[in-house]
Amino acid sequence: MIQKIVTKEELYKLLNYLLQDFEVIGPKELTNRGIFYETIKNPQDLYLGEGFTTEPVKKLFLNPSEWFFKCQYKDSKNSLEEIALTKTKRIIIGVRPCETKGLELLDKVYNSEYKDEFYVNNRNRTVIIGLSCAKPDRNCFCTSMGGSNVESQGTDAILFDRDGKFILEIITDKGKEILGSIGNEPSEEEKKHWQQDKEKRKDLVKTKIKAPEDLDKVFEDPYWEQVSKSCLSCGICTFLCPTCHCFDLVDEQRRRLRCYDGCAFVDFTLQASGENPRPTKKERYRQRVFHKFDYFKKNFGENLCVGCGRCIRYCPVKIDISEIVDKAPV
Amino acid sequence: MIDELKIKARELLKNKQVDLIIGYQRASDGVLAMPCFVDREEDVDKLIWDVYCVYNLANYLKDYAGQKIGIIAKPCDVRSIVVLLQENQLRRENVYIIGVECSGVIDEKRLRLGAKDIQESATFGVKCKSCKSSTPSICDYLFKDKEKKGKISEDKDEYESVRKLEVRSSLERLKFWEEEFSRCIRCYACRQVCPMCYCPKCVADQAMPAWFSKGANLKGNLSWNLIRAIHLGGRCIDCGECERVCPVGIPLRELNKKIEKDIKELFKYEAGANVEQKPLLASFDKDDPGDWIK
Ligand code: SF4
Ligand code: SF4
Ligand code: SF4
Ligand code: SF4
Repeated sequence: MIQKIVTKEELYKLLNYLLQDFEVIGPKELTNRGIFYETIKNPQDLYLGEGFTTEPVKKLFLNPSEWFFKCQYKDSKNSLEEIALTKTKRIIIGVRPCETKGLELLDKVYNSEYKDEFYVNNRNRTVIIGLSCAKPDRNCFCTSMGGSNVESQGTDAILFDRDGKFILEIITDKGKEILGSIGNEPSEEEKKHWQQDKEKRKDLVKTKIKAPEDLDKVFEDPYWEQVSKSCLSCGICTFLCPTCHCFDLVDEQRRRLRCYDGCAFVDFTLQASGENPRPTKKERYRQRVFHKFDYFKKNFGENLCVGCGRCIRYCPVKIDISEIVDKAPV
Repeated sequence: MIDELKIKARELLKNKQVDLIIGYQRASDGVLAMPCFVDREEDVDKLIWDVYCVYNLANYLKDYAGQKIGIIAKPCDVRSIVVLLQENQLRRENVYIIGVECSGVIDEKRLRLGAKDIQESATFGVKCKSCKSSTPSICDYLFKDKEKKGKISEDKDEYESVRKLEVRSSLERLKFWEEEFSRCIRCYACRQVCPMCYCPKCVADQAMPAWFSKGANLKGNLSWNLIRAIHLGGRCIDCGECERVCPVGIPLRELNKKIEKDIKELFKYEAGANVEQKPLLASFDKDDPGDWIK
């Protein structure tokens, strides 16, 4: 790992230069709408402050609406045309540590035994510059989910806002290639100081929860009905979650489309026979919790939640998964 | 006031006047509210009522069809109960309306977007600023606002922003809405939160045939958002919940207000105002505009 001290100006100048060869994507504040990942034309538009993006970076890897192929029937002949993969190289800057951890969890599904060519292509063409969180809010619980607000895991380089400048930690060769040229190396003393600061920063994440070892034994508990009563069965928590990855396949006008789907929706498990094995909110909300904190853990050794807090922040009725998991009657 | 409310709730449960009371409780953050479902006397103490009680709880009535429900309702929420009654979705004897006098609830969305920290000083919701009455139009029991804070409603034209949009050319308006709708992620939270969106099978969920694209792309989004708005014509009572919950900040209320305004001008009809009145789309009047039908 290389440590550097960089000024905002240096960083913006470099990004300006990189715009020639890369698509640069980063958080941008949109009036009355919130903060969103957008393609950046001018680095000044970047929002590298304390607020969090509404939509997760997942969206840039798992396209919410991915066309797979087109078919045609013309002159009594069938033809099938694959949709070409985008090759543009890109830099995504300002990605939070929990989100990059989320990408590593998605890798377990889309880039390990089974390789999803769209996802893998998006992974390969991207350099990720992370941004540590200086002000986690009360919905953040990353430190309870095996990560932290200063973690560099999953990034090519990561920025820490400090005293009006950035501390830049370069992690991978990819990161070195594009960022290696800027900034000054801190002195040994500065480095030591920084290390201490970093440890302190973790304490800013105040919400702590304990995910149960084995939820399985409370599968039938009336608890799930209690906690899901106010759920609206919408798509907010699943679509905005950096780790939820369920999809639907539909054929539309001779094209095949993969789009997001989520376990909270009533029709998610509706079968052709008309039978729906998860007919009420209880089964559906329980599924969300169990997939994250039981099934995924059993299959891949980790919880499928990074504690980003999005599902709590944006739930229309303030359902709090961290509290629900923490208080599960195991 | 809250003690009075708890006594009433306890009494209703005890006398078996209702099976369940739908109200508000404190959310896990200790400040905001969340819906609360009380069916035992010992849980009555969870109930709260303050400016953070933004949700329109009438949306939950469909979950308890056939049961006797007590519901805590603000004047705007009562308007949606009125529509449900008009549309025969609810029997009057099955709902016990615990009306609350309301002088405005917070703008939860702004709070969330400004999301630095929750402050008591958060401003009132946009819908509250044009709300005309602080007292529910119908109820079985009324909780008076003892402090008599009165309406926060501003006297300015409630259709001001609609008018601003109206005068633009149709091409400009299309561009405006295309830009807005292109952000839609098709989470359907706007539908799920709406008390009036109760179709057993939403057109957006139909697969055979599918009426428009399921994907979050402009074409599908345009269809979805317009269908949602138009299906609520003459029924939307401006509780503002759809716009509040939209995670990408689409100004859905502008669209609703435009339809509301047109209906007011064309048919002199106001949704949720009068329980005796027939729903707009189920009534015919010889004075209705448009010669084609005469
Ligand atoms: S965001 Fe909230 S209301 Fe919507 S499905 Fe998730 S838990 Fe339910
Ligand atoms: S479940 Fe909620 S807190 Fe956990 S990663 Fe998903 S959105 Fe974030
Ligand atoms: S359309 Fe929106 S404002 Fe109108 S009743 Fe439904 S949720 Fe309320
Ligand atoms: S709530 Fe907003 S993003 Fe979700 S479906 Fe409705 S308009 Fe689209």
